[in-house]
Amino acid sequence: MALDLQMPVLVVDDYKTMIRIIRNLLKQLGFEDIDDAADGTEALEKMKQRKYGLVISDWNMEPMTGYELLKQVRSDAGLCKTPFIMVTAESKTENVIAAKKAGVNNYIVKPFNAQTLKGKIEAVFSD
Amino acid sequence: MAARKQADVAKLIAFLEENRTRRGDVTLNDVMLLAQVMTGSMREVLGSVKPAVTEELMAIGEEISRMKGEISQLRAVDIKDNRIPEAGRELDAIVEATESATHTIMEAAETIMSADASDIDAYQATVNDKIVEIFEACAFQDITGQRISKVVNTLNYIDERVSAFMKRLRVADEDDEGDREETEAERRQRELILYGPQHAGEGVSQDQVDAMLGDDAQAEIDRLFG
Repeated sequence: MALDLQMPVLVVDDYKTMIRIIRNLLKQLGFEDIDDAADGTEALEKMKQRKYGLVISDWNMEPMTGYELLKQVRSDAGLCKTPFIMVTAESKTENVIAAKKAGVNNYIVKPFNAQTLKGKIEAVFSD
Repeated sequence: MAARKQADVAKLIAFLEENRTRRGDVTLNDVMLLAQVMTGSMREVLGSVKPAVTEELMAIGEEISRMKGEISQLRAVDIKDNRIPEAGRELDAIVEATESATHTIMEAAETIMSADASDIDAYQATVNDKIVEIFEACAFQDITGQRISKVVNTLNYIDERVSAFMKRLRVADEDDEGDREETEAERRQRELILYGPQHAGEGVSQDQVDAMLGDDAQAEIDRLFG
């Protein structure tokens, strides 16, 4: 799968400032089509209406967490191939193992920098 | 002696009459007061029955009086009505200040990011103005630091009083939590693995995450659990 800067990216976070930070970093990396959602439920609705090339999601959100969103996405035949990066402050070993088992493509621990985000996105699309 | 006994009984009757109209609204203080009145009214009778029993009951009465003193020293009303609400207001103000500062800093950064660099003088002026705004916004850290200190002081105040209260009453935590029912919040935290940010040195680093997601993932996981 090649990295396409024109592809729509969905950023999921309940903290508006974090959405703004990731959106700006993505713009700096050259992405132009960036959408956002405030939790897993809203993200899932948007994903069913539009095909996103990449989902970047927080873990801890109400009512549906990023972890639940990941499992829902992977169990949906139409969405299961969507690249999914978790960007979260949840940094216990069991979080990473659970995310890996659920099918996450990459995992970024907050706080992170632009270089890490860029590297993880590139890694997802170079696999 | 008969007059004293009569006075004790009258005191008990007065107490019960005074409180008979209350429907279930009984405080710990009421219970202790009733116990005091009853031990007082029964002093004569019990004294004639067995001195050891009287002594025991008197000791209980004294313990109850001591407990009342300890409870009043907790200053629970002050904590509930003043200190906790004030700490809540401080935390709200911290959230507002950090949000406002973040907004200002991001606005400035976004303006710089989208500024037209073809006109060097105008671009330089914009960048300078926005950098000053960023410096000004960073002053929030001083104010929030002071507010956080006030919240920490409140927590210490509560901690000191509760700890002293528990020590004087010789209260220990129950060791066996096996029978305690898990709350909805605890169930959600456990099932959805919600532990929040970890302190420095706790949790896994980005390098460890990378290793866990890489080809030698299982070895890294084994090492972490090792």
